[in-house]
This record gives sequence, C-alpha cells and structure tokens, in this order.
Amino acid sequence: MAVIETEALTKRYGGARGIEEVTLSVARGEVFGFLGPNGAGKTTTIRTLLDLLHPTSGSARLFGLDSRRDSVAIRARLGNLPGDFSYGPPALTGRALLELFARLRGMEDLSTAEALAERFRADLDRPLGQLSRGNRQKLGLAQALFHEPELLILDEPTSGLDPLMQEEFLRVVAEQRDAGRTVFLSSHDLSEVERVCDRVGIIRDGRLVAVERIADLLGKSYRKVALRFAETVDPAELARLPGVSEVAATDGLIEFRAAGDLDAIVKAAARHTVVDVTVSRPTLEEIFVAYYSESSP
Amino acid sequence: MTAIAARAVGDRARSLTIWALSIGAMGVLFMAIWPSVEGAIGTAIDAYPESLKQAFGITDLSTPEQYLSAELMSLILPLALAIFAARAVANAIDGAQERGHLDVLLSAPVSRREVVAATFAALAVQLVAILAVSWLLTYLASLVAGAGLSLGLSLAGFANLLPLSLLAAGIAMLVTGLAQRAGAVTGIAVGAVVAMYVLDLVGRLDTSLDWVRYGSAFKYYGAAIEDGIDPLAFTGVLAAAAVLAIAGTLLFERRDIA
Repeated sequence: MAVIETEALTKRYGGARGIEEVTLSVARGEVFGFLGPNGAGKTTTIRTLLDLLHPTSGSARLFGLDSRRDSVAIRARLGNLPGDFSYGPPALTGRALLELFARLRGMEDLSTAEALAERFRADLDRPLGQLSRGNRQKLGLAQALFHEPELLILDEPTSGLDPLMQEEFLRVVAEQRDAGRTVFLSSHDLSEVERVCDRVGIIRDGRLVAVERIADLLGKSYRKVALRFAETVDPAELARLPGVSEVAATDGLIEFRAAGDLDAIVKAAARHTVVDVTVSRPTLEEIFVAYYSESSP
Repeated sequence: MTAIAARAVGDRARSLTIWALSIGAMGVLFMAIWPSVEGAIGTAIDAYPESLKQAFGITDLSTPEQYLSAELMSLILPLALAIFAARAVANAIDGAQERGHLDVLLSAPVSRREVVAATFAALAVQLVAILAVSWLLTYLASLVAGAGLSLGLSLAGFANLLPLSLLAAGIAMLVTGLAQRAGAVTGIAVGAVVAMYVLDLVGRLDTSLDWVRYGSAFKYYGAAIEDGIDPLAFTGVLAAAAVLAIAGTLLFERRDIA
C-alpha cells in the first residue's frame, strides 16, 4: 500500500496557481525527492497533504486515510519539518518545545529527542530567539524525528545548515530508509536529492511533469564541459560527436554540452594537447530547460 | 489541549503579571485617594448635567463602589481587557500563522478546534488571574486606606468583567475565521467593543433610542460593583461569547492556513 497517494490534487488561491492535478504515489520505505525551483508548488503540495491547505479539487490519502477527514490520525504517524522551523515565543527553550510536542504525542520519554539533539549538536537549553536559522532547523529535525514516525515530510530541510550538518542530515534520511520508514523530501538541490532519494518527482509551474528514478533522471541530464587546449582547435571536431551540442569556442577554449558518456569526447580531445578540463553538472533549472523543453507544449 | 493551554499561560506569564499589576495599581490609586475626595466628588457631581450623569451611569458618587464604577468599571477596564482578550486570540491563531508556528503545531496530532479550545482555556485562566490579583490589590488598598469598599460588591464588579472580555475574544475568533491578519483581528474586535459602548451611550442619552442598547453587551454588563451580578445577563453574555467563538472555529476549520 502506498504511504502517500494523490489523485489530481489541485490547489488554487483564488485565480492564482498553486498546484494543478498532481497525481503521485510514494511507496512504504521509499525516499521520494520532490524537486522543483522556488515557487513551483513543492510547499503547497506538502501543506495540502498536511491539511493546512484544503484542496480545490482532487484528493490525497496518507496511510490510506483521507488527508482532510482523517488529518489528526495521519499527523500522529508522521513527522514534519518546514523550511524555516520556528515555534513559540523567543524565550522558549528547545527542551520546553520538545516537552510540549512529546505531550501532544502522548509521550513521556524525551530520551530519543535528547539523543537526536546531541547528535545534531542542538543546544536544548538556549531560548529559540537566540538560535540561528541553522540551529533552529536542527531542533526542528529533532522535533520531526523523535517519535520515530512512519513518514517523514521534509520541506527544504537543509536550508541554513552548515555542510557538516547537511552530511549528518543526509545520514539520518538514509537511516530512516534503512529502518523501513518513508521520507518525502522537497528540495531544489539536485546533489542532495541524488544522494538519498530512490525516486524523484519534478514539479514545474504547479504541475508534476515527471516522476523518475534518480538514475534515469541523471542519465537523461547533460554535463557542461570546458576544454582548454594548448593550441587553437577546430570546434567542429567536437561538435560532430554524438551528444555534443551548443558548442562555443574562444581561442583555445571550447565549451559545450555533452549528453551520455564522455568516451568519444575524451578520445577526440586527446588528439591535441589538453591544458585543462572542467566537467560540471548543470543546475536543476538547467536540467529542466534541457530535459523538458521538448515536452513543453 | 491542556499541554497547549498550559504552555500558552506559561509563555504569557510576564505579560500577565504586568497586566494584573497595572490594573491593580489603578484600583489601589482610586482606593488610596477615595477617603480624601469622598465629600468633594459628590458635590462636584451634583453640578454635572443630568443627561451626562445618566449617560455615564453616574447616579451618585457617595460610595467607593460608585466611584470605582465611574472611574474604572464603566469603560477603562472593559476596554483594556477587551484589548487583552482580542490580542490573545489574534496572536494565538493568526499571529502564530504569520510566524509559521501554526504549521509546526498542526504537524502534531492536534485538531484546529483543540487549538482554539486551548486558546480560550488559557485566556480564561489568564483573565481570572488578572481579575483576582487586581481585585485583591484594590480591596487590600481599601482596607489600608479605610475606604470601606464592600468585599462582595467589589468582587462582583471585577468578576463581571469576565464575560465582556470573553465576548471580545469571541468576536476576535469570529474575525479569525474570516481574516488572516492578527492586526486586523484585534482592531476589528476592539472596534466592535467600542461600538457597543457607543451604542449603549446613545441609548442612554436619548431615551427614544433606548432600544439600540439591546444590541450592546454593555446594557447587560450593567454596574455589578453597585448592584451585584445579574446572573441572567452574566450567563447571557458568556453564551454570546461562546456562540461567536464556535462560529469562528467552524469558519477557521474551513479556511486555509495560508
């Protein structure tokens, strides 16, 4: 049974777009990445799943329960971390916050929450008003995880975290998957999603334009290659290779896009003296443009 | 629900203390000066136009209860506590929404009506605490100054502020069901209380318009510090507050947390 299942889920704000007919299914034990640029509809989808927003049409079911009618029962089984975690008055400490949420979840024992806070190096005795955004996110993550939920919903969770904490965070997500739990992770960071997700859904302008396995998505994406040669090289030598496009040459520098493997390119370049090679992955937005421009109406 | 209510009371402990001591200080001040102004005020009031005295419900100022009624209970405290109550509701719902706190709270297995119920439970506790402390300070000041304030009537006067304050909270909840901005909720709720006061005043000033007073909670609020609590009016205003709060909750459940 799917843990999350939406059917033509639509949310409009008056005449303004929110999400349009989003249909997706997330299986138990899956780490599902929900990708899209800012404003695409990721947060709207999550807030509709949580019943903070009521759908204009369509439906959503979590654990087989209706997102509107059974919202309280659903929320008892999930943990949620919003993009910018904040709660209560500035003087409230992290410990008081966790105690409140433990009581709301009918829990007495705070040991899991304390262990998580220690792991994330979140100071539970400092008032929230004195915490940076990153430290609030750590506390929020402990709050989302401490009751060991079946489903973890994370909306841009690593925003504001330092690289070490991002690593720690990704380990936590992997552990959730290993424990058989389901994670729904919204992000605009392709590398983050690539590392922990099994599948991704891509949302653009409120519409779910694709649901792919990570490997398939990356296989369809291109790389940006820049080759600097010791001498001027005819760019046509590279332009005619399969998968090469958008070639631009300036003196000894040739830049282009390469789809598929790089074997032919490396062999062609090796016929000259190569001074420098840069291969970079495109941003998510660039993948959108390259991969979906063909499917756009 | 009790966890949210207890947290709300705890979070506002400082504000609660300030409100209780401020209102209590006003009571203390009036009781401290009463013995020295007792005779003079009665003479001064006699010179006021009859319509003005009627408008403000001043029949006489020969007792400390009448003095407190005119100075504190007729407008200042109802208005101050209406602001306190309306702000409490606005901050707990729309204010929390604006700060993103409601998203976090409603990620837990808590229904929206539980959040509203906790807000009102916390508010009721806070109002009772403010009224109890301020009444106690006022009564103690009367004992010290020898003002002769009646224990029973003064207690009734302070207690009678509770339904009116909760009515302001009920109006605020109704507006919360429709609007999504804390500032607007407080403004409209307090404005409605002021409008009801004006309505009552108009009805008092012009007897041909006495009927408009039926639309004002101030008609039912009366002057409990002089006459004691009217149980029917007391429960009637409480019931109106409950109806408004329930209507607001139903609207709140139907709207988005934007």
